[in-house]
Amino acid sequence: MKKFITYLILILMALIMLYPLLWLLGASFKSNQEIYSSVWFLPENFDFNVYFNAWKTNTGYTMGHYFINTFTVIIPKTVFSVVSSVLTAYGFARFDFPLKKFFFTLLMVGMFMPAIVTIMPMYIFWNGLDLLDSYAPLTVPSLFACEGMFVFILIQFFKGLPKELDEASRLDGCGTIRTLIYVLLPCMKPAVISIAVFNFLWTMNDFINPLIFINSTEKYTLSLALRTSVDSTGQGYEECKIIAMSVIGLIPSVTVFALAQKKFIGITAGGLS
Amino acid sequence: MKKYKNPVGVSRFTGLILISPFVIGSVLFIIYPFFCSFVTGMTKYDGIHPPEFIGLTNYKNMLQDKHFLKALGVTFKYTIIFVPLKLTVSLLTAVLLSANIKGMGFFRTAFYIPSILGSNLAVAIMWQYLFTRGGLVNQILEIFGVSGVSWYGDRKLSLFIIILLRLWEFGSTMIIFLTALKDIPREYYEASKVDGCSPVRAFFSITLPLIKNTLFVNAVLQTISALQEFSAPYMITGGNPMKSTYTVGMLIYDEMFSYHNAGYANAVSWVLFVLTSAVVCIMFRITGRIRKELP
Amino acid sequence: MKKFLLPVVCTLTLFSCSSETVKKTPPDNRLDKCTLRFSWWGGDDRHNATMKAITLWNARHPNIEIKAEYGGWDGWTEKINTQISGGSQPDVMQINYDWLVTLSSDGKGFYDLNELQHFLDLSGFSDDILSFGTVNNHLNAIPVSLTGRGFFYNSAVFDKLGVSFPETWDELLKTGNIFYQNGCYPLDLDVQSGGTAWYLSVVYVQQKTGRNFINMDGSLGFSIEDIEEAMEFYKLMEDNHVTRNVRTRIDEDGNGALYQSPSFIDGNVAGVLEWNSAVGKYESVLDKGVLKAGGYLGDGNGNNSGWFVKPSLMYAISAETQYPDESAEFINFLLNDDDCAEILGTSRGIPASSYAFEVLENNGKLKGLTKENADMLNNLDTVTISPYMETSRMKELCNSAIEKVSYGEDISITAQELYNDIIEYLESVE
Repeated sequence: MKKFITYLILILMALIMLYPLLWLLGASFKSNQEIYSSVWFLPENFDFNVYFNAWKTNTGYTMGHYFINTFTVIIPKTVFSVVSSVLTAYGFARFDFPLKKFFFTLLMVGMFMPAIVTIMPMYIFWNGLDLLDSYAPLTVPSLFACEGMFVFILIQFFKGLPKELDEASRLDGCGTIRTLIYVLLPCMKPAVISIAVFNFLWTMNDFINPLIFINSTEKYTLSLALRTSVDSTGQGYEECKIIAMSVIGLIPSVTVFALAQKKFIGITAGGLS
Repeated sequence: MKKYKNPVGVSRFTGLILISPFVIGSVLFIIYPFFCSFVTGMTKYDGIHPPEFIGLTNYKNMLQDKHFLKALGVTFKYTIIFVPLKLTVSLLTAVLLSANIKGMGFFRTAFYIPSILGSNLAVAIMWQYLFTRGGLVNQILEIFGVSGVSWYGDRKLSLFIIILLRLWEFGSTMIIFLTALKDIPREYYEASKVDGCSPVRAFFSITLPLIKNTLFVNAVLQTISALQEFSAPYMITGGNPMKSTYTVGMLIYDEMFSYHNAGYANAVSWVLFVLTSAVVCIMFRITGRIRKELP
Repeated sequence: MKKFLLPVVCTLTLFSCSSETVKKTPPDNRLDKCTLRFSWWGGDDRHNATMKAITLWNARHPNIEIKAEYGGWDGWTEKINTQISGGSQPDVMQINYDWLVTLSSDGKGFYDLNELQHFLDLSGFSDDILSFGTVNNHLNAIPVSLTGRGFFYNSAVFDKLGVSFPETWDELLKTGNIFYQNGCYPLDLDVQSGGTAWYLSVVYVQQKTGRNFINMDGSLGFSIEDIEEAMEFYKLMEDNHVTRNVRTRIDEDGNGALYQSPSFIDGNVAGVLEWNSAVGKYESVLDKGVLKAGGYLGDGNGNNSGWFVKPSLMYAISAETQYPDESAEFINFLLNDDDCAEILGTSRGIPASSYAFEVLENNGKLKGLTKENADMLNNLDTVTISPYMETSRMKELCNSAIEKVSYGEDISITAQELYNDIIEYLESVE
């Protein structure tokens, strides 16, 4: 009975969560008129050519090209971000050092400023280095652990691990880095994976940074390419094609998440069941 | 000389070396842009002509700017209602999802979909179908005898459809809770069962105390993002009606890009920054004793 | 303290300073080998047509390569603003009308095209049209096309109710009442991105008084009484059910555009006041041929003045460009070249250049609702929208004021506030 209720709640919630995705799928086969006049997801007829056209895009490059661009940004960015955030969080969580309070405050404070006011200074900075229209402004900052949020979350998880682990490892003769890699990190896998997944998904959806820093169409990321055909000031456009593109664009995010979700929780998990 | 509490044989610089990427990064990506922003905040600057130094005039103007004061009120109202709701919803869902039953992977993925969709076109359209006058929500309410609720047009209700949107996107917060729940040894619950504890009691006496640090982290992160909220009202209501959903984040964006008032936008950002710092500082203070020390 | 701040202020102004120190090379007849950056926003049609035109250009001018930078409208202003602040904008830009105010209020934000006339043939443009792009005696930009808001109606609904399209203001009010008895509205007016509620009210007062709301030089032409009258007329339209009040409108449609709302698609709202260059999106959500162009409203005694026109898009050259001559030559190609005109078609509206217009007219490419409405506008005594009326801030002020009126706030107080706000704003941009 209890299980039944749990399932009922879960299925109802899943429906609310999934309906927009279902609707998107259906809408990719609809005319503009159909899209805006009904909330029902099933289209009147299916024409799979729309996906063929969406993949081709009208920009002279296929979506494959934009996928490659996007991954050229995401993969280094995610690696950079995870490595630098883990090291920084480890330093904050496990060691005492001069100016620690100051730097921790700086880390927190970095999250408090609305991101848009830093766009202009950063633009001038990258322009000064002659690195506009390259992927450097999108990836390089991740080398420096400046996503305070990731570090903050990780510090939390480091703190949750008993200090005895470190001590035992040191007694076994492991140094600082080896303790991190062989003893602590294996216990923190879920947290590290969630950081990597957040990074992947947010970069996938990021629009403003690529918009500001990338000029050439051949370097556009997927999020930019999706909006290249959208001119709300003009004569209008076929919504279904944009929707089909966005459906294709969702595939990597959904796949990555579906693959990673197992890692967030292991067999030892407790719950109320 | 100050004593540094480190394991034996660890120099006081080890930590500093570990965070060295951040030390360099903080100069380039935090201190430098903040400094620029602070200076710009004391100028009249349209982004085109050379900035003109005007001291604290922008800050003085803010005190008389009724849009700013209103937006500040909206932002705080939003934060105060939203953060507790979001924490509750994502924690309860995380507990539900940590149960070991078949098909959990599917549900976890499904529940994260809204967060993946982000500002996809579908979301705005869905909300329209849900909350307009003849929308789905009103049709359901009709069954209970409530008719014609004006979600978009009523100045008192409009903020709620934004809160609902952000609640619906609870995925990331839920994930952070899930990862913390994973670390709770199952034996605790089994022991409590033997003692005859109800699941509700177990939640309050086992789960909550053991994840209090994660709860705190999520509370801080959600507060920060709520105070900067911008894209949800931008997408769903455009700040309407009568500025009842117009947040400080939107005001900064408009002043910066639409009204070409970069000086003022930066000054407002600094005020928001100081207020956020104050709020977070208070959160650290009042929870200091309950949670384990953070650095 | 001052010295301490200096480096940052200098960084911020570095690029705007540099423009004054670098001497522009005097024009000579041989064009340099170079790469020009050209940026525009738009949809697929515009992108494709423009890329084809660039291919043609590259074939003819192997020395001057054009590097295209284009995208959708979302975020485009933000991108260009950032580029200009950082001094790294493209050489040639498609710009919006109000950018003349926001990016070049003194006329120095863009290159003065008057200086480039050996490369840029302006004979296809009337003085009137060129005056749209002139700020402070500097020819900052050239209109690619002109547009105005016209009435477009769902003829199926009008036919069903046996009502003809209104021709005068009185008829509009009457139509509202007839529609109301049938549970629908003849027109949509908004206080969001379109701002048509204020637009139409202003036209009414302009027609009646002969005064312009805001003059081309950025001075306020309306008195407080005029503003109040415009607001009262708006209220009158609401009271006669010409349009839904603001609250009903967002309750029914949310924050979306009208063409994305069931109200319009199902015919509950049967008309829209829209730029003739953007009517396509309304046309495509109704059955074919249902949307028709209605006439401009007059007072019934032959006075139908006061209606607005404006340049829909313009081309400008960066004030910082190293290649002004080459850029001018390229704009000349885009605007005046016969083959290019054929390729570009109406992807940027009905061309303002008489050369390009002729090419399209001869090919029979000018047709449809846009053309129908443009012809009507041509026969009117029109008013040019001041670019100051088109800025986001000005629109926001006017929209908020109308919203207040619709939500029942006192008209004379709201009018007074709007008047003060406008005066304050106009002073601040001078």
